[in-house]
Amino acid sequence: MPTVKNWQLGRDMSYPYDARYPSRQFAFVFNINRCIACQSCTMACKSTWTFSKGQEHMWWANVETKPYGGYPRWWDAKILGLLEQANPGGQLWSGNASDSRSAPYGKFDGQTVFEAADRALTPESARVLGYLPTDEEWNSPNIYEDNPLGRPGVRNQLDPTGEQLPIHNTWFFYLARICNHCSYPACLAACPRSAIYKRPEDGIVLIDQAECRGYRKCVEACPYKKTMYRGNTRTSEKCIACYPRVEGTDPESDGEPMETRCMAACIGQIRMQGLVQVAEDGTWAEDRYNPLYFLVHIAKVALPLYPQFGTQPNGYYIPPRWVPRPYLTQMFGPGVDAAIDNYVNPSRELVAVLQLFRRSNRIIYKYEIQEGPKIYEGTLHGRKVELYNDTVIAFGRRGQELFRTTVEEPVHVRSNKHANSI
Amino acid sequence: MPYDNPDPTDPQELVGVELPGDECVTREMAAAFADEFAQLGYNRAQIQALYRNAFYAGAHQAWQLLGDEEIARLVDESVNVWSRVRYVVTDRPDEIEAQPLRLIRSRS
Repeated sequence: MPTVKNWQLGRDMSYPYDARYPSRQFAFVFNINRCIACQSCTMACKSTWTFSKGQEHMWWANVETKPYGGYPRWWDAKILGLLEQANPGGQLWSGNASDSRSAPYGKFDGQTVFEAADRALTPESARVLGYLPTDEEWNSPNIYEDNPLGRPGVRNQLDPTGEQLPIHNTWFFYLARICNHCSYPACLAACPRSAIYKRPEDGIVLIDQAECRGYRKCVEACPYKKTMYRGNTRTSEKCIACYPRVEGTDPESDGEPMETRCMAACIGQIRMQGLVQVAEDGTWAEDRYNPLYFLVHIAKVALPLYPQFGTQPNGYYIPPRWVPRPYLTQMFGPGVDAAIDNYVNPSRELVAVLQLFRRSNRIIYKYEIQEGPKIYEGTLHGRKVELYNDTVIAFGRRGQELFRTTVEEPVHVRSNKHANSI
Repeated sequence: MPYDNPDPTDPQELVGVELPGDECVTREMAAAFADEFAQLGYNRAQIQALYRNAFYAGAHQAWQLLGDEEIARLVDESVNVWSRVRYVVTDRPDEIEAQPLRLIRSRS
């Protein structure tokens, strides 16, 4: 099997194909601290792409409640279990986080879904360790996430509806998910017909519907379970990253690259999507004032989802600051402590960049900050807070200004009627 | 594992599995929501309404555990800092193309 460089794991790894990198890569950052699971993203995607017959169970974008939730049910617990079974006690990280772009989280010493398949799977044609979720696991997204599976004291029996059950005592956070448009897609690696491809211009991963014969190898292989089988067309489908919007060919886009529907619909303003530059070795090329590059490589507040799977996912998350760290470390890797520290005590630049989220539906290629005077200094929840009257300006593909966000101190002007009432 | 015959000892079922989560964690989570929504420009009443709404399970659970007064205190603390500023977003003005001249007849 050829060897490719996986910078999220800090090492080379085996992958069924030679490395090929796009010039730019579709990527996104979700700030979990803000997500309240309103499901606006889920419905925006559903009403745009998956409203047809045969797509009833398809949720290309979904929001699940952790730790109990998953769509399909138990997807992450199951794949983590398979990897642990293939490499008992060995799924560990070593080394330290660093500023290096090629190993920012240290080194993963365990096995990826590709490497584990090499040792654990037969026949030889099986290239990726995975499993095929059952119909029951697909058919009820969000079921029992807030409630237990059965009534207290009743064993071996699921409650038929669940809505009247007592709620779980432990609630962690909401995890919004779409296809990660991975740099080393497991779906692409597993397809026996080579029907899945990664576009060289933006790294979006697509399934050629004319080539697909519905073998479901991609459904089995994707560790994030973001490819789905459609029974009435007998083909598999997946998130297409709203590519007409990203290309700027959607009528609404007016020729300028736009963010996807799920990003645009986010009322909690947790999402930002962009196109990052990729270097020849597959790492992100230095692009200091690209907001995604800043969040991932400079501020280090955004981390990949389950990097240990080895697909080098391009979805990044700002981890929730209240959740037990071992759980987060398993989910986002060893960068969690630093990410939360940096988010809770943000730099002046980070505060400004966070103001770029959802101020426009256009893709931001670059930002600039015009510094202003300090307007407040105090404490919040026992931590020092400083606010500056800074202006952050966002620029589009052609270098044109998209918008600017300024901090203003509210001024109340007394009406003439009460001008001398003191 | 059959769907209709779950094994209660299976940790994937998460039946009766205790996970770390206490008042301290809940308070931190409630404070995080208050901070984030105060930064988005929500006022005191709007943020408190979010905790009281049972459809927002996480926030509502914190409200049930900590009580209305403690939530109000957390919200006040966040609003006290973040309501001092207002974020103003200014879009770049669209370039308006020159329109062809049209003859407009007066009705009078």
